[in-house]
Amino acid sequence: MRSPSDLLAHSAMISQLAQTPPGPSGKKKLIYDQDHRGPLSTDTVATLMLLQADKIDLLGICTVSCDMWAKQETAYALRLLEIMGRPEIPVYMGAQEPLLNTKAEAQMRYQMFGSRSLGNEGYLGCFAKDAAGRDEVAPLPPPYNRFARIKAQPEPAADFIIRTIRANPNEVTMYCGGPMTNLALAVMLAPDIVPITREVIFMGGGIHHSTSSVNVYFDAEAAKIGVRAPWPKFTLVTTDLAEQVHMQDDGKVDAIVERAHSPIADLFREYEQKPQRANPQRRSFRMPDEMMAAHAINPSIFTGYDDMYIDIVTHNDGHYGDTSFWDANWKDEGGELSGQNNPSLKAGRVQVLNGIDKKRFRELFTDLMTRPIK
Amino acid sequence: MTTTRREFIKTVGAAIASSQIPPQPAAMGEAAAPLPPPGPAAQQSAAKRKVIYDQDNSGPFGTDILGTLMMLQADSIDLLGITLVTGDAWMKQEMAYTLRLLEMMGRTEIPVYPGAEFPMLNTKEEWQLRQQLYGGHRLDPWMGAFNRANGGPNEIKQLPPPYDRPANLKAQQDHAARFIVRTVRDNPGQVTLYAGGPLTNLALAIALAPDIVPLVHEVVIMGTGFHVFTNAFNIFFDPESARKVLRAGWPKCSIVTLDIAEEIHEGDEIAPGRRMIEEIAARAWSPISELFQMHAVEPLRRDPNLHFFRMADEMIAAQVIDPSAFTKSEEMYVDICITPGPRYGDSMFWAKNWQAVPEAGKSVSAADRRVFVDPRQFYLGPPPSAGLVRVLQEIDRDRFKKLFVDLMTKPIRKA
Repeated sequence: MRSPSDLLAHSAMISQLAQTPPGPSGKKKLIYDQDHRGPLSTDTVATLMLLQADKIDLLGICTVSCDMWAKQETAYALRLLEIMGRPEIPVYMGAQEPLLNTKAEAQMRYQMFGSRSLGNEGYLGCFAKDAAGRDEVAPLPPPYNRFARIKAQPEPAADFIIRTIRANPNEVTMYCGGPMTNLALAVMLAPDIVPITREVIFMGGGIHHSTSSVNVYFDAEAAKIGVRAPWPKFTLVTTDLAEQVHMQDDGKVDAIVERAHSPIADLFREYEQKPQRANPQRRSFRMPDEMMAAHAINPSIFTGYDDMYIDIVTHNDGHYGDTSFWDANWKDEGGELSGQNNPSLKAGRVQVLNGIDKKRFRELFTDLMTRPIK
Repeated sequence: MTTTRREFIKTVGAAIASSQIPPQPAAMGEAAAPLPPPGPAAQQSAAKRKVIYDQDNSGPFGTDILGTLMMLQADSIDLLGITLVTGDAWMKQEMAYTLRLLEMMGRTEIPVYPGAEFPMLNTKEEWQLRQQLYGGHRLDPWMGAFNRANGGPNEIKQLPPPYDRPANLKAQQDHAARFIVRTVRDNPGQVTLYAGGPLTNLALAIALAPDIVPLVHEVVIMGTGFHVFTNAFNIFFDPESARKVLRAGWPKCSIVTLDIAEEIHEGDEIAPGRRMIEEIAARAWSPISELFQMHAVEPLRRDPNLHFFRMADEMIAAQVIDPSAFTKSEEMYVDICITPGPRYGDSMFWAKNWQAVPEAGKSVSAADRRVFVDPRQFYLGPPPSAGLVRVLQEIDRDRFKKLFVDLMTKPIRKA
């Protein structure tokens, strides 16, 4: 019997990832859609990377509920732009709730079917039992200190996405670091944006480490819409890949605290170095969103991708939000496997990043964090 | 080969009459038996009721179009806009019919907004496979835009008489969901949402702007059922959107179930020897008379065995125009099954007072016994996120038919 890893090996693609050509402005146009958890998290660090990268034209930041509620995330995003001196970047608050999933049901599913069993995959973000309410906005700790003076745009994130992609056909890269609720709404409202989007980068799901992650099972219906749409290019960072690099590996944090400028140094000192020193057993988080940012900034850091089919389970049970993958080179060649290895009827196509040059990733990451604030 | 009821109605017309009955002369209408006066909401009032009409407006004739005609004709209605959604037909085909219908009715001031072209998740191919896997829907096999014989979302078929040609009138640029959000915010507490098709546009609107939910005056929805069948087209075409909309917690959400919609059919007799559609064809003004003549009366003559369709959308219109036509309603919890299995799109209802225990010594009717059960023994309540809605349960048939015939036969309303 063939295992999924055999299938992967079978379909391993020769890396064809050339440096993505820049747009006419010389910069890659990017919409940054994120469940922007503060004060510091994989979400926030990816934001810092994209703010610091020279070749990125950050058209706007969209927020979406998951790690936190969208209102709280928006407060963090706005103030982060202020303390980074980038108040010109517009922030759009996106979906406050998933398309259908609710906190009560998420809790009951866990009671009935058990939580997700691997590592921290049981994480429910703002649907956690003791999480704050949807409209509560807690004060921001140092170095944020206070709420921003700049305000979020009045337009919903989905409308901004539609308008921007239409105005820049074939040029916009969609970075989706949270659930795909905003993207799914945009696709439902305007299916015409799909073929004129340059690339969608998404983090979620996995084959070996875990069959899902919160970005998918927080809003499985949106994920299904997102992955099934026929994007010209849909790139996925799986939990398998993200697990390969953790924040505290190789002394990155100490190097950043030592060499970075304010406020990045303050953020890393306060929220990575101090907790780690106080508790050496602390398991720092993997770097999923940073990997997505790295892919947006310099895709040649990744060793290659596997062409695959992907689909999402939306049954309201213990498998809600699971991801399923199939080899894209699948052919029904008859014989004993005939009819046994085909993808689902409406599966989407995805390029699953299958390896990362850890050394170059570390160099890129440390460079972006320690260079002068842009 | 037998044709299913709904296909038949959609292709040939909306009603049936015995071919022995001659067309009714206009004068016959005057002899109609006196009916109770219309309710207060139907009377001309200073403030007209503001309505957004969301519909899968499948032409040339049928329950969707008749609901539209009622709303166009009612003097008490301020029709703020028509929003279209793929359902009975593809949205673009519906657009062609709707724009031309407004031209024929001389109501080109009403803006028409294009809405969702596809359901949230459901697809034609998966639906067909589900039918193979779990069995088809024996009672109501209609798949609307997904009917096997239908083309794709961009195919626009030529409009038959009396539509005759494409409209000069153009659709608005804005998406239906955005129009709904904007309009509800501009008219807080005043807008009634008529939802005559799948609930995709409404689901999109409340996903974009959850703040509009408490600002809506009333939502009237067609779909779901307990007895006739639990699986209604408007719901199972897009169950995920239906779940979202029914759970939203509107100030007032009224549902026309299939149970009540089945009670009255378009070709029913309204008086001994007189069928409703013939009465209307004879007495109505152009273009309503032509629509009834060409798409109801003539098909009946060709085939006396033609089935009538139920008056589902007309009942939503009645609830908006004259709610006193409905004599009984009950608040209930509702939820929609979205598990992609044999029950995908089924509706489930729970009594609002499921926790009630009968008073000691008080007799309990057999009908109430289902509800009045000791909650310490059984949990009979709804799931945690089910929506509370008002289910219309009884209709004054005579009043409803009079309202319908009056609206169809009165002079065409001016803008």
